[in-house]
Amino acid sequence: MKRIRIFLSRLLSQPRSWLRAMAQRNRLEAEMEAELASHLDNLTADLVRAGFSPAEAGRRARIALGSSVVHKDEMRASLGLRIFDELAADLRYASRRLRRSLAFTAVATISLALAIGANTTIFSLAKQMLYERLAVPHAADLRLMAWTSDARHGAVHNTWGEYFKLPGGRAGSSSFSYPVYQQLRADNRGPNRVMEDLFAFKETGMNGTIAGNAQRSQVEMVSGNYYGVLGVKPVLGRAIAESDETESEQAAVAVISYGLWQREYGGSPSVLGQRIKLNEATFTIVGVNPNGFTGAKSTQQSPDAFVPLTMQPVIHPEGEKGSVLIDTEEWWVNVMGRMRPGVAEVTAQTTLNGELGAAVRATMSVKPNEELPVMELRDGSRGLFTQQHTFAKPMTVLLTMVGFVLLLACANIANLMLARGTQRQREMSVRLALGAGRLRIARQMLVESLLMAGLGGAGGLLLGYFGGSLLPKLTENAWERNDFRIHFDWSVFAFTAGITILTGVLFGLAPAFAAAGAKVGSGLKESSQSVTRRRRGLGGKSLVGFQIALSTLLVVGAGLFLRTLASLNSVDVGFRIDHLLLAEIAPPQKTYGPGKDIELHKRLIESFSRIPGVEAVTPAWVPYLSDDTSRTGFRVEGKTYAKDEDDGAYYNVVGDRFFDALKIPILNGRAFGPQDTVTSMKVGIINASLAKERFPGENPIGKRFINHHFDDKPDVWITIVGVCGDTRYSSLREEPPPQFILPFSQQTEAGGGVAYEIRTTVDPESIVPQMRKAVQQQDPDLPLIDVRTQQQQIEATMQTERIFVAMTSSFGMLALALASVGIYGVMAYSVANRTNEIGIRLALGAQPRQVLGMILREATWISLTGIAVGLTAAYFLARLVKSMLYGLQPADPVSLISGAALLIAVGLAASWLPARRAASVQPVEALRHE
Amino acid sequence: MEQQLELLQGTLDLLILKAVSLGPLHGYGVLLRIQQVSGQALIIQQGSLYPALYRLEHQGAITSEWGESDNNRKAKFYKLTTAGRLRLDEETEKWNRMAGIMGTILLTAPGEA
Repeated sequence: MKRIRIFLSRLLSQPRSWLRAMAQRNRLEAEMEAELASHLDNLTADLVRAGFSPAEAGRRARIALGSSVVHKDEMRASLGLRIFDELAADLRYASRRLRRSLAFTAVATISLALAIGANTTIFSLAKQMLYERLAVPHAADLRLMAWTSDARHGAVHNTWGEYFKLPGGRAGSSSFSYPVYQQLRADNRGPNRVMEDLFAFKETGMNGTIAGNAQRSQVEMVSGNYYGVLGVKPVLGRAIAESDETESEQAAVAVISYGLWQREYGGSPSVLGQRIKLNEATFTIVGVNPNGFTGAKSTQQSPDAFVPLTMQPVIHPEGEKGSVLIDTEEWWVNVMGRMRPGVAEVTAQTTLNGELGAAVRATMSVKPNEELPVMELRDGSRGLFTQQHTFAKPMTVLLTMVGFVLLLACANIANLMLARGTQRQREMSVRLALGAGRLRIARQMLVESLLMAGLGGAGGLLLGYFGGSLLPKLTENAWERNDFRIHFDWSVFAFTAGITILTGVLFGLAPAFAAAGAKVGSGLKESSQSVTRRRRGLGGKSLVGFQIALSTLLVVGAGLFLRTLASLNSVDVGFRIDHLLLAEIAPPQKTYGPGKDIELHKRLIESFSRIPGVEAVTPAWVPYLSDDTSRTGFRVEGKTYAKDEDDGAYYNVVGDRFFDALKIPILNGRAFGPQDTVTSMKVGIINASLAKERFPGENPIGKRFINHHFDDKPDVWITIVGVCGDTRYSSLREEPPPQFILPFSQQTEAGGGVAYEIRTTVDPESIVPQMRKAVQQQDPDLPLIDVRTQQQQIEATMQTERIFVAMTSSFGMLALALASVGIYGVMAYSVANRTNEIGIRLALGAQPRQVLGMILREATWISLTGIAVGLTAAYFLARLVKSMLYGLQPADPVSLISGAALLIAVGLAASWLPARRAASVQPVEALRHE
Repeated sequence: MEQQLELLQGTLDLLILKAVSLGPLHGYGVLLRIQQVSGQALIIQQGSLYPALYRLEHQGAITSEWGESDNNRKAKFYKLTTAGRLRLDEETEKWNRMAGIMGTILLTAPGEA
């Protein structure tokens, strides 16, 4: 009982006293001084009373009391302050050391900061792209419906939306027909249902007029139960409900994204009840989505507006009947649902598969040789997750490279710490000899490592934080809004910072442990007597070799991507890309039906042509090099085709001035002209490749073909009147494909969006305001969209390549810098250690030139070994990215050789200074050295 | 005069507790009190007194306050707390038992064990 009370009082008293001591440092110091002084006074007074002279008394008193500094130290220790006192001393000492070797500190911190910053950014990006889930409650329960079937003999013929080919001649999609969706949903009712309620959505681009501005808007059309099942609650107003499922424009409602609310309405609550126009139909805003909700399709960027799916026939007529809500052939709508608790995934999939088969049979006529689509339940927590296909590979490459950078930085820090630790072996021995505890020394080293790591970590934090907003700048293009931002990810930062700092600490401690284990005397004795080389540097050298190997890898990688970009830039596309402006106009089909749209375009061509500085204007269905394609059958008169034969060719529909505007040469025959009208003979022009493919050794002029596109209409024979030069088509990377070109003037409908290509004599961007005015005069609700020059367009298609070049070259530069620091450090250390040996060599008659050569040779050997390893690794890794390269082989000799040469040069340059120092050693001084 | 004895290890704390239990004392006073009571028979390292005082205060066995000393100077007076009193009792008892046991052992004559 007594003991417990004593123990408790101690437990209470200690923290209080400790806190007081910590908080009132100065007061404590003064009190201790005063107390010791008063002791001294009292003692002196007593001694004087005992008969000593005052001076003698003072002297005796001071001797009796002893050093007040020591006593104060012990008094502080009594208060539990010792560890803090020592840590403060360590910290002071560490920062003094770091300040004294500024170059070392700078190199170490900067390399740490760069590696941590780059890794945090890239890993955050990857995590966001590939692992982020939809911002809805319990996203993990969501399942996306998808199907697969035989690619050639599937029951589904028309899809609007993503369509992917699978190995083994299969293909699939996550699009369904609306009637099939309705039936699946109806089947999935009642107590035996395998999933919670299914919902449907479709995201597409539309012409919006929002807050008075005509703009291109992304719209997600959603089923009435969409918000209910997802569990998303608007921050303002209400969500779309089942009762909003209407085709009537009077009752049409929309929920807008948080981003649009901020951008166009300044976050004002008066947004509710305002009207927006989407493809000419008017919607009343009833709600605003929460920030961070990006719709069900993607986790990256939110559509601007959400409207009921039932409005589709009004705002986005599609397919033959205009309404795809009743169309059984067109598969277009995405379907999702939540898993029901207690239902196994397999059960759900099997049941839904049966229901899908039944629904397809009930709604479509399936031919006997056609395969029914097979249901596949996919993870829906990331939406359609389309970025998986486009980003997975580039991301892997970037992650690998940035991972190498991390490794390199770790190696660098390890090397620096090792070299430094070895240099300080003597200091350690001295301190041990003077009685420092081994643990105390280890703690001192730890504090030093941690201080430096902390500096680097802070730098990395800063870089990672700003890198997150910097990187999206690389993915921007001039004409599209980009809301994409990388969120700074603390867990990623903690991981990368943790790894680098751990490396620093481990390698910082290694010499401390070595010192602690060493006999006190050996460190003091060793330093001068030995003349022959010690094999100490080996750890450092292999680290440097490793650094050089990694650098070679990164430099060669940068070379490969740089050369790819260069080959892409030097591609002859077959037409003039300068002074060419591209813009698109998508007249809504409701207002501009077949015929009316052609009229509109004719008026637009006229008004565009009148703008000063415009040389030629042409509409085109397919603007080149923008990843657009149109492909259809091309059957020549008098030839027979097998049933399954691929008779397709790419095509384009263009205006009269197309060949003038793009400066594509007419090799044979004529271009289109005013004589080609709706009523005149149908004409077409083919390119040289198509002429070679279909009319080998013949003159194609005057030959006729049919265009498979109009299958259901009576055959209309098209006469070839000209042959034009080849051009690249959708992508810069693909050779010019066979292609035929039809005149815009002979079309009866434009069928949606049309691109305009305008050749100017002035700066193309300077005419944009006049173009917008011209369009406004025709129709104030019609936006001029995707305005960009052909050059900007090409640059945008090379975005991935440019990002790669930017990233890999900066990684490569960083690697070179780190490697040269590594070589310099190791060689300088080696020279310093061998001063004696070199002095003896020189005294025995070696020429300075020979010494210089000896040191350079040693450095070059390290470089060569590293380079050999690096090149081998580069050769194998480059084969994995073959599909990302253009115009060169993975074993591209230019990249490999120049990479190796660069590394050798850097190695020589970095070891030049230490070598010079070695060569200029004065034998006498060297021998006297120590 | 008998030769002075070095203090046994670990006994300084007990001596300080005992000294201040007789009334508040400043540091030098503690030293004088111990020497006086012991009849100058113990050598106390004067420097080690203060760390011990701070330690005891840190542990809550004694408490201190600034006051006036006999010669009208500021001095820090230590006095025993309740917890200190308990500890003094306990340590005294422990010491007495130990001394008794030691005595018994050392007095044992040959053949007695």
